[in-house]
This record gives sequence, structure tokens and C-alpha cells, in this order.
Amino acid sequence: MALVVATVTNLLILSSMYIVVALGFAFLFNMLGIPNFAHGAIYMLGGYIGLALISAVGINQWVALILTAVVVGAFGLFLERFCFRPFVGDFNRIVMICVAVIVILQTGVNIIAGTQILSLPPFALGILKVGPASVSYERIVTFAIGAVLLGIIIWFVNRTKWGKQMQAISQDRLGASLQGINVHRVSALASFIGCALAAIAGCLIGAYLNLGPFMGDFMLVKVLILAILAGAGSISGIFIAGLILGTLDSALPVLISGAAGDAIAVGIVVVLMLIRPQGFFGHEVEM
Amino acid sequence: MSDNQLSTYIPSEPATARSRLIKPAILAGLVVIIALLPLLLGSPYLLHILILTLIYIIAAVSLRTITISGQFPLAHGAFMGIGAYLAGMASKHLGWSPWLTIPLAALVTMGIGMLIGYPFARLRALYYALGSLFFGIGVVYIIQAGGTWTGGYSGLTGIHPMFGGSKTAYYYFFLGLAIVSLLALYRFEFSRIGTNLKAIAQSHLVASSVGINEGWFRVLAVGVGCFFAGLAGAGYAHYNMVLSPASFNFMATLWLVMYVLIGGIDSFAGPIVGTIILILIPEFARGLKEYSPFLSAVLLLIVVYLMPKGLVSLPSLVRAWYSERRKGKKIAHVSGN
Amino acid sequence: MFLEIKGLTKQFGGLTAVNRFDMYVSEGEIVGLIGPNGAGKTTLFNLITGVLRPTKGRVIFDGEDITGKKAHIVAQRGIGRTFQLNPLFANFTVLENVSASFHLHPKSSLFDIYFSTKTYRRNEAYILEQSLEILKLVGLEKVKDELAKNLPHGYQKMLGIARALAVKPKLLLLDEPIAGMNPDEIDFTMTGIRKTRQQGTTIVVVEHNMMIMNLCDRVVVINFGQKVAEGTPEEVRKNQEVIQAYFGGEHAA
Repeated sequence: MALVVATVTNLLILSSMYIVVALGFAFLFNMLGIPNFAHGAIYMLGGYIGLALISAVGINQWVALILTAVVVGAFGLFLERFCFRPFVGDFNRIVMICVAVIVILQTGVNIIAGTQILSLPPFALGILKVGPASVSYERIVTFAIGAVLLGIIIWFVNRTKWGKQMQAISQDRLGASLQGINVHRVSALASFIGCALAAIAGCLIGAYLNLGPFMGDFMLVKVLILAILAGAGSISGIFIAGLILGTLDSALPVLISGAAGDAIAVGIVVVLMLIRPQGFFGHEVEM
Repeated sequence: MSDNQLSTYIPSEPATARSRLIKPAILAGLVVIIALLPLLLGSPYLLHILILTLIYIIAAVSLRTITISGQFPLAHGAFMGIGAYLAGMASKHLGWSPWLTIPLAALVTMGIGMLIGYPFARLRALYYALGSLFFGIGVVYIIQAGGTWTGGYSGLTGIHPMFGGSKTAYYYFFLGLAIVSLLALYRFEFSRIGTNLKAIAQSHLVASSVGINEGWFRVLAVGVGCFFAGLAGAGYAHYNMVLSPASFNFMATLWLVMYVLIGGIDSFAGPIVGTIILILIPEFARGLKEYSPFLSAVLLLIVVYLMPKGLVSLPSLVRAWYSERRKGKKIAHVSGN
Repeated sequence: MFLEIKGLTKQFGGLTAVNRFDMYVSEGEIVGLIGPNGAGKTTLFNLITGVLRPTKGRVIFDGEDITGKKAHIVAQRGIGRTFQLNPLFANFTVLENVSASFHLHPKSSLFDIYFSTKTYRRNEAYILEQSLEILKLVGLEKVKDELAKNLPHGYQKMLGIARALAVKPKLLLLDEPIAGMNPDEIDFTMTGIRKTRQQGTTIVVVEHNMMIMNLCDRVVVINFGQKVAEGTPEEVRKNQEVIQAYFGGEHAA
């Protein structure tokens, strides 16, 4: 019973975090065809900045969460403006820039924080008992934050002017700009939001699990899987893919140990890609 | 074209008699130095770095060969790993000689590459890249899940060395291997096969309309590239005698990609230059220790923003800058300033 | 019948681009395919040459059913084509564009190519010679070392035709060959098309420009993916009312 509860809550948390980070990636990917391979490193950066703010500067962790989001979001603005915008469509250059960013961030974190196992303080303490089952408040709160974020994203994309412009751009970039949409400004906003989201997820996972300079690589793989399987322009696709992947990642390790499970998961992804490379829900990416 | 017309097309200089002599002379000088290197350098550590450089040159150039066809695979590190582990396992579990395991591993890696490449060949460039990325990740997982066969996470040990472990012997072996590989890849690219690949890359519609079987040629390019990746990996296995799955993961692939892109993806010498520079930098920056990746990253950014065609374009960029300056002086002179 | 198209249909989801199209071409003919933009002419070419697979129907060429065969196989069978938007090997020189197109004739085996055998070198010399011949034929020999992407538009279209000729096609499909050309170039191209037919090549030409009709033995009119009229150029011209309705009274210059 306890195992079931733990697995289910783990599943919910992982899924929601994957989806949050993947959506941040998907914004730039859908709209400008930019695969921001550095997105995983940005997620990692968020976790470490959060920790730095809390432990070095001594800020309350909730404030730190918001501050981290803003700081990393600003970094996202910088990236979009100077690193991606000039090279839209040039896959080689974008890969090179992303690798440079990854290397700089990872090396920087490595030097400053070293290889010690660090983590953020939990966002909630205590255990909730419901009948025979018990769940830590931390898990509940983490998932709740994730759910709230997702709700905000859905509202933003579907109900606000900016969100609708983002959808328009991802469907037809040229047409949208001809209609008067300022693609540059919307992309900048999307980059800010996307990186801020990744940073929050980094803090949350940093509290729920722990931090490591290479946690970004791990998340990048998940994000890429979600973005590809979902297809461009489909938010709901990412949700569905995220749930499935979160389930696989929670359930498989329980059933099959270690790397074999990972191998199977990736193998399934490869096969799915061959069946339908442009994703199952959205459309092809316009580079 | 008159002098007054602005031209963005910089024609390459015609080969004068003098420049025809310079190139072979430099080459000859380099050849002598390279051949005598083990004697010139005292230190086995430097030889070790050179050997690794040679191995990675083979891998980087073969990666670039695949990209000629317009596809950008992101799994080359994994294919090195396949070659390495095949050779390593055959050596450890079956006791086969390296002279057998290395070519066989290369062949099997080629086969696997072509098998995987075949369904992937029809994907668009971006999806091909991402699909190969996932494949590469999967390979590492499979290696990690390999239990006693592959040694799992902790790695494979007990691979038989060659030449009694003599670094000098290894150096000449890998030098020979690299030369043969480079010649083979060079011939591949500059024959009609390479022309067909470049045609496919520029317009697959036109290429197929003149009878070029784009699927087959793409798979062929992947096969050749994977053969040499496997060769490099297998050689590495018998040199290092120990293998770890982390050496062939996504980051390893990315570094290979960087060697190619920094050197220049449009030229055959590009990956060679890129590999040498990116391996040498951390060595000269030993004093910087853990800061050395910063140097490589900065170099990467310099190439992206200033030298899009890679480091090999440096000479021609400098030449162009010079001739612009001379033109400026000429105009100033003519207008009597 | 050299080329026979029976009931060819192509559907993209809900859109029917080509609808139960029938057509035949006899050996040695020049047939014109005329219709307004979006009528399905290029789609038809793509279906014949294997770039697209038909939803229904058959394509029979020189006695063989080539329906749905891949593009390079169709080229092997002897069908060459140009493309409307005229893609080229942009980073190759003019000469390289043509010599690269000699992939099929003569065909060297991979072994010969890689090891540069006598056969290969002989073939390459022959290809070089033939490429220069073709360039002379289309008047491009002076720019043979220019990069294709640097050529002016009209020259590029000529290059597209030169490239198609390298396949030594028995059937040549020209997709809007004179679009964007000035009157001199148009004259030149039309003469070239006549010469090519004299050498025994069968030709199907897609065009907007009515001048092409003078070249053709027969004309087929297509609109909304369907055959609308067919006959000699005079007959089709007399069918003015039909054509006027589709072209909205516009006569190409």
C-alpha cells in the first residue's frame, strides 16, 4: 500500500515537473524551431541559484523561488536575444551555442559547488495520514505547485493575448508577423517564461530529490522526448506524453531494475519516432 | 566584374607556381615531425595525449563524412562505444586477438549503423538528429544494463593490450590507422560517391530525379561513418584496456560534434584541426585545471560569432581582411588623400 | 502509347488535387499541359515521377507499370524532368551540376568509383565531354565554372533543362520551362525543345504561357485536377470560351 502511494505521488510529481520544463522548451521550439539543448542546464541553474539565495543570502525559500525564476528568466531573455535570434534556422550554430552554454554553466556550477550532494530545504514538512496511507506534505506541496504552474500556463496560452500570439506564431511564423504580431517580443517573453519555469522546477526537484551539476542532462532527455513525441504546437500532447513518461519512470524502476528499464523506455521512443517523427499530436516543426 | 562592384563572393586565389611548392613542402615537414614525434617528446604522457588525439581524429572525420549527405547524426559517441565494447568483450570473454577484434568490431558497428540508419534515412534533418540522439542514449543504457557481459556501470576491465603496452608502438599503430582511415575517407568524399552525397544534401528532389537513390546513399554514408567510429572505439578499447559507459554518452557525442563544427564542417581538414585544438587546449591550460572547459566554450562562441565556417576559414578570413585594407589604402591614394 | 495515365487520383486528406485523370502521349510527340495555377499540373508530374504516390490509378511508361515507383527508379526508366521552382545543386558549379546528373549514364559501380579503376576514369572522361556538349547546347558553356546559385534566373532555368537532359531521357517532362525568361531566352528555349524532339525525345510541357502551344502537337487542358479539354492547339484555342472561363480572359503575353 505504502509502495502504491509512494509510486503514485512520485508519478504525479515527476510528470508535472517534466511537463512544466518541457513546455518551457516547447515554447521556443514550436515558435522559432529552436531546439534549446541548454534548457536542461537552465533547469539545473535554477536549482543552484535557488539554493544559493536560500543558504548564502538567507532569504525565505518561497521568496527565493520567485527570485530565482526572475533571474533565470532574465538569462532566458539574454539567450533569446543574443544567442538564438540571430541564428534562427541555422541548426549547426544553435547546437554549438547550446553546447557552449551547457559547458559554461556546468563547469561554473562544478567549480562553485563541487561534487558534494546538495539539496534545497523542503518546501513543507510533516506527514499527512489518510486512513492506512500516509503522504509527506512535501510531496503534496510540490505537486500542488506543479499543478498550479500548469494551470497558469494553460490559462496564459489560451486566454491571454500573448498566449494566442504564441500559438499563431507556432502555426505560421511568417503569416503571424504579416498580421502585425511582433514575433521578437513574443519570443522574448516566451523565453523568459520558459526559463523561469525550468528554474522553478529545478528548485522543486532540488528540494524533493537533490541537486547535481549534471541533473540538467537527465532532464534534457525527458524534455526532448516529450517535445518530439508531442509534436510542435500541441500543449495537450505534451501533457499526455508527460503523464506517460512520468508513469514509465515511476513504475518501471519498481518492476525492472536500473538501466534496463531506461533502455526500454528510450527504445520505445525511438520506435515511436520512426513511426511518426513529427509527433502524435502537433505538426512538424518549421525551422 | 569591375573593381567597383561589391562582391560578397570571394574567389579563391589561383594557384601560382610558388604556392604550389609551399603546400607540399609544409606537408613534408609535418610528416617528418609527426613520424619522429615519439623521439622528440620525452614524456609518455604527451604520447598518450597524441594517441587520444589520433583516435578522436578518426572519429571526428568520420562523423563529418556522414554530414556530407545532409544529415546530422548525434550518436557518434555511442557508435564509438559499440565498437569499443564489441572489441573489449571479444577480447575479454573470448580471448580474441586485437588484430581480429578491431576490424570485426568496426564491421559490426558499420552493420548496426546501416541497420539503424535505414529507417532513419527518410527523416528530415532535425528529426534525424533527435532520433539518433535518443538512439545514442539508448545504447549507453544498454551497455549499463549489460551485467557481467559489459561490466555495467562500473565498466569493462581486462581487455588485452597490444604491443606489450608500449606507448611508442601504440603511437605508430594509431598513426598508421589514422592515415589509412583519413585516406579512405578522403577518397570516399572526393569520388563520385561523395559528389552524389553532396548532391542529395543540396536538393534531394533533383538528386532523385537524375537517378540517385538517396536512401541507399544516405545509408552508405552512415555505414562508412560508423565503420570508422567503431574502428576508433575498438582501438581505444585495446589501448585503454578499460572501458566505461560514461565515455560514450551524449556529452562524448557532443564533444565530437564540437570538434567538427569548431574546425569547420565544410572542409575535410576541419575536424582534424578542431580535434587537435580542442584536445590541446585543456593540456596547455593545465594550470587552469577545472577552468579549462571554459576555454573550450569560449572558443566555441568565438567560432559561432566570428568564424562561422570554423577555424579552417581563419587563413582566408585574414586574407580577405588584408585585401580589404589594401583596397582601402588604394582608394585613399587614388583620391589624393 | 508511350506514356499512359489511367484514372490517376491524388488526395491529400480532404483535398483532391488530381481527379481520375486520363492522358496518353505517343512517342515523339510534344504534348502541352495547360491550366491555371493550382490546377494540378505539377502534382501530376510529381505523381508520374514518383515524388508523390497516387491514391488511385496507374501510370504506364513504355509498356511498364511504373505507378508509385520511387523517383530514382523512374529516372532509370528514362523519364527526366525539370521543376517549377527550379531547385539546383546551388553550391556546385554549372559544370558540376550537369556532370553530377550523369549518375545513370554511364553507371560506374561503387567498386569502380572508389578504387578509380580504368572503367571509372573512362566513364568520368566521357561524362565530362558530354557535360560540356550539353552546356554548349543550352548556351551555358561560358559560365561553366560559376556557382549555380550566382547565376541570373534565366540561366538557372537553362541549367535545370541541361540537367534534365543529362539523364538521356526518352520522355522529358518540362515544368514551366520558360517562366521568368526574357523573349530571347524564350526563343532559344523553344528552339532547343524542338531540337530535342528531333533527336527522338518525347516531351510533355507544362506552361501558362500560350506561346508554348505553337510547339505542341497536342494540348491537354487541366483544371481542378481534371481533364477539361484535349486536342490540337487550334482545336483547344477554338475552345476559347472554355479557356476564357478558366483563365478569366487573360492571355499571356
